[in-house]
Amino acid sequence: MSKPGRVTTRRLASAACAAALGFTAVACSSSGSSPAATTSGAPTSSAAPVAAGSSGTLHLAFLSDMSTPDPDVFYDIEGNTVILSAYEGLVAYKPGSTTIEPDLATSYTESKDGLTYTFKLRHGVKFHDGTPFNSAAVKASFQRRLDVNNAPSYMLAPVKTMLTPDPYTFVVKLKQVVTPFLDYLASSWGPKMLSPTALKKHGGKDFGQTYLNTHDIGTGPYTLTAFVRGDHYTLTRFAGYWGTPPAYQTIDIKITPDMNSQILALKSGDQDAILHSFPTPELASVQGDSDLKVDNFDSYLTALLYMNVSKAPLSDLALRKEIAEAIDVPDLVKQVYGAYGSVAQSMYPKGILDPSLAPVSYPPKAVKVNGVKLSFGYTADDSGLQQRLAELIQQKLEAAGFKVSVREVQNAQTYGYPTDVKHAPDLLLETNTPDAAHPDTWGRIVWGTGGGLNFFNYSNPKVDALMDKGRANTDKAASDQDYAKAGELMAADYPILFLASSQNVMVWRSTVTGVTFRPEEPWTVPLATLAGTG
Amino acid sequence: MTGMRRFAAERVSALFAVLFALTAVVFVLERQVPANPVRALLGTSASNASIAAKRHQLYLDRSVTTQFWHFLARAVHGDLGLSLHTRRAVRTDIGSFLPATVELALTAAVLAAVLGVGVGLVTARGKGRTTRLGLLAAASVPQFLLGLVLLLVFYSGLHWLPGQGRLSSGVAAPPALTHLYTVDALLHGQLGTWWDAVKHLLLPALTLAIVPSAAIARTLRSSLQTTMRADYIRTARAKALSERKVLLRHALRNSAQAPLTMAGLQVGLLLAGVVVVEDIFGFPGLGLYTVRSIQTFDLPAVAGVSLVLGASYVVINALVDLAQAWADPRLRV
Repeated sequence: MSKPGRVTTRRLASAACAAALGFTAVACSSSGSSPAATTSGAPTSSAAPVAAGSSGTLHLAFLSDMSTPDPDVFYDIEGNTVILSAYEGLVAYKPGSTTIEPDLATSYTESKDGLTYTFKLRHGVKFHDGTPFNSAAVKASFQRRLDVNNAPSYMLAPVKTMLTPDPYTFVVKLKQVVTPFLDYLASSWGPKMLSPTALKKHGGKDFGQTYLNTHDIGTGPYTLTAFVRGDHYTLTRFAGYWGTPPAYQTIDIKITPDMNSQILALKSGDQDAILHSFPTPELASVQGDSDLKVDNFDSYLTALLYMNVSKAPLSDLALRKEIAEAIDVPDLVKQVYGAYGSVAQSMYPKGILDPSLAPVSYPPKAVKVNGVKLSFGYTADDSGLQQRLAELIQQKLEAAGFKVSVREVQNAQTYGYPTDVKHAPDLLLETNTPDAAHPDTWGRIVWGTGGGLNFFNYSNPKVDALMDKGRANTDKAASDQDYAKAGELMAADYPILFLASSQNVMVWRSTVTGVTFRPEEPWTVPLATLAGTG
Repeated sequence: MTGMRRFAAERVSALFAVLFALTAVVFVLERQVPANPVRALLGTSASNASIAAKRHQLYLDRSVTTQFWHFLARAVHGDLGLSLHTRRAVRTDIGSFLPATVELALTAAVLAAVLGVGVGLVTARGKGRTTRLGLLAAASVPQFLLGLVLLLVFYSGLHWLPGQGRLSSGVAAPPALTHLYTVDALLHGQLGTWWDAVKHLLLPALTLAIVPSAAIARTLRSSLQTTMRADYIRTARAKALSERKVLLRHALRNSAQAPLTMAGLQVGLLLAGVVVVEDIFGFPGLGLYTVRSIQTFDLPAVAGVSLVLGASYVVINALVDLAQAWADPRLRV
């Protein structure tokens, strides 16, 4: 699984650790009589009743330190829970859907030519420093993202001018039509609103990056009151929040890099949830524990098998097709994911584009090749899913006559492949997620020429042209057709096999209610809707 | 120049040579890895032009030699560059993560020395066989497994000790003087905080200390057993000195050389163990920072940490050499 700058490849002497984990499960699971509640299938779209005004502390843990809590620099996955609790944008996705709804804007309109967006802003919103939110703040926040010019700044690159006709109206004009623009704004990595007063006060020489490395200046339901790198973060309920006050007074997030230690803390009651990467073999022990519950949600996390089209032997299309047939994707997904994933129906993550527009399938077929050698890299995660997937793919390919050598690789290594593709492996297994619920934020980076996740330099000018057409097409249905055609053209070249849609499995203490999820925000939970009953 | 001074001067010169070589090796090895940390830094949607510009800014498009001299020139002035992951100065990062490791390593070293010398002395006369076997058995278990077992027993099972971090949730860190929580808490008379910090240190320090303590105990025991057969020991006994006095006054110092060498070697293992132990116990030290930096190919951070850990190892071994020279004047010649 990968996101720029983020690492999930963090395993520690896996075999023996797994043995220790088995011991852990036996030794630690309490023998509750009722099975754990399991929310299966479709994501939750409505929150459980919230005990507004209650207090207490919610204890969470991250597997790794977040890079920075600065929303204009942050571009990882681990840490999104912090960013999205402290900051808000103009629009957001409705939980469990791709519908964009107003957040700090109360409404928005798009001009017919798709070049001008007008936002009416919410009154009575305060930043954590007590200053009011208005159109000047939106302009300053957008400008700061462009000035900082870090990874997420590309989302505002199409902006030509920003206007503030009155304190509660903000108008943005684009250089050209960019159909994913609103999705950029709704993305968890999209532009967030920052207090211009605080930016001025703490700006220094780096647009406030040093200050925002340990503080926040947003409008969200929580404010960051402690950021001790490598140790813990504390979020405290913001008394001046414009929306429904969150139930928990404090959120304590510890950095606990070892999954076994997190499981021990969860079962001991010192931790209230494990938000991702829970080892699937251990889920059985959780389901027998009445103190715990499993929530699994559909997400955009998609397992991909990249084939190195830029060098022999996989520069041969026929051989790539044989691999697709040999690995028997339906059986692979069933064996590895069980109830926690499904066979990918489209080359676009489940929910981004109607799968019937751009279906993808790899019917299994008996294949026999004569000892073709393949090197195979995979990025591992703490859940063990990636490793098991890689091992099973290896087995199936070897049964078909391939000779496969498998090794684990780090995400940062994979980013080096495009510049040295001849020395890159023949196959690469990764699980990725798009920036937003728009096909452009997936196709362009995964298979578009020069895309950041296009590791083996696949290039098809017709595919690129179709995506460009879709990006400039203000008619959504026609735009979707363009992306679908681009996907189908690409899929016929077999540069990537789209294996599985993976669910985000969370394990919670049973006392916590109100868990919601947005599929485009893996590993992330909105904190404001959570409440404790115990 | 006296023997001892010349000896010290030689060791200090060797220290700089080793550090230079260490930096060069780390640097070359890192540059051989086909990674693209800039892509990881700027994200999947960054244009090739902005990646090229960032690589140029970070000197990554120059030859390894140029990059090395650039790094070395800055390192001499204490500038270890900017972390690609945390976006802070590597020096700042190391400054904030190092104290936890120092506190943990010092506690583990003290525990290892006390356990090692204690068990070595007790078993030197053929007693304490069970203790020795127990320690040996514990030392044979890989550290990550030992850590997990200790967590299972003392944290999850008995609820005696905490399992993660340096302090409990809600306990504020003491005002920073040394950045060692136990020391700072004591200096400010915050006994509650001190006890909380000590409890958080015990399990990771014990996990780290078991292996070196067994090594020290075994070396001391065998060294003492040889010494105890020497003529001057027989003379001491003939003077009707108690066995305890013979052991502590006459035999111990003369048997110290081998255990001291072993202790110096164990420091390296201890520093390596820190990485694993900090990971298991969520202890926010340099080990955790190192793991994170390696995973993200944060080259300035990896180089900075290597330099600091390497320097610590070399300095500690130089101190061990000096201690040996003090214990045995023949080494100064």
